[in-house]
Amino acid sequence: MSEKNYSSNDDESLVKAARKGELAAFEELVFRHRDPIYARAFSMTRNEQDAVDLSQEAWVKGWQRLEQFHGESSFTTWMTRICINLCLDHLRKQKRHRADSIEEMDEDGGGVERQMPVVTVNPTAGLERAELRKKIDGALDQLSAEHRTVLVLHEFEDMEYKEIAQTVGCSIGTVMSRLFYARRKMAALLADMRKEL
Amino acid sequence: MNLEQQLKLQAFLDGELPECEAREILAWTQRDSAAASLLAELRNTRAAMVKSEPHLSVPESREFFWSKIEREIQRLEPQAASTPKVSIFTALRHWLLPASAVVTIIIAGMIVHFEFPNNATKTVVENVADADTTTVETTLASTDATTYRDASEGTTLVWFSSADDSPAQNKKSAIN
Repeated sequence: MSEKNYSSNDDESLVKAARKGELAAFEELVFRHRDPIYARAFSMTRNEQDAVDLSQEAWVKGWQRLEQFHGESSFTTWMTRICINLCLDHLRKQKRHRADSIEEMDEDGGGVERQMPVVTVNPTAGLERAELRKKIDGALDQLSAEHRTVLVLHEFEDMEYKEIAQTVGCSIGTVMSRLFYARRKMAALLADMRKEL
Repeated sequence: MNLEQQLKLQAFLDGELPECEAREILAWTQRDSAAASLLAELRNTRAAMVKSEPHLSVPESREFFWSKIEREIQRLEPQAASTPKVSIFTALRHWLLPASAVVTIIIAGMIVHFEFPNNATKTVVENVADADTTTVETTLASTDATTYRDASEGTTLVWFSSADDSPAQNKKSAIN
């Protein structure tokens, strides 16, 4: 491996060097962006080891596909999309090994989320940022993978309905329905957490 | 409120509706308290989520995390990982030298072949100026021609043998 120090280079020049085979340049990119990529994998899988493995796999894929990166988006965004696709594949494999949950059956029937009472008071009002993050994290844990995925892609990745449908491989109607359910469930969970205080 | 209306309300919040439909939904929320309450709940949840993505760090050291990635890259493409990728010109230069050497050898071989064909091997007998000299010389390594000159006897003996000739087929030629 080259001993050249790339710490002062910008992402663009690091990508160029990595394309030429400079592994040290790619290592610098990994070092800079590994946390957000890992965070995305964790928000989707909710499992620390799976998130580490999937984010590492994403980096290997990133190295192999560097020629396809043309800078239309930032390098982190590009890498995050690779990671999201790997996470979706991982979740699909997991789903094949388990029965569909009651929640999903209810969603398909369009029932549960419509019957939940509306949370009239904002359950997150006045919370410190760190506390709010903790609560959001705890509530995300309680959603099914399908609902969490749509919520994460919409709220954290800022994707539109159409883009989520293409990424996940479902209809826009399903995206809307899952997002609606996920939001309503989150509101209910956050309200419950507030009551526990 | 039916599911379609609820989803429209959400689409309105997310800016996914065309302007004319968005205006209709806005008017609806202003006159329907249930719609307004649901919109407020959805808005609060979205706002809480957007500004509260948990900040997480990889639970491994930089070196350990990288080592697995590096191993996998090297396993998948050992050449590319161990040596920097070279440009086309460098690669051409790299191959051009040995290739030109091979071509030179082939051309030299062809010249030798056509200039000195095996079945027409000739050895030019030089006039020997010094009458007392006895000379033995070997010419044309490919044909194994050996010349023996004895100036005192005035004799030149040329011995031809080729690689595909059996010893019995070796020919002698004497020139006086």
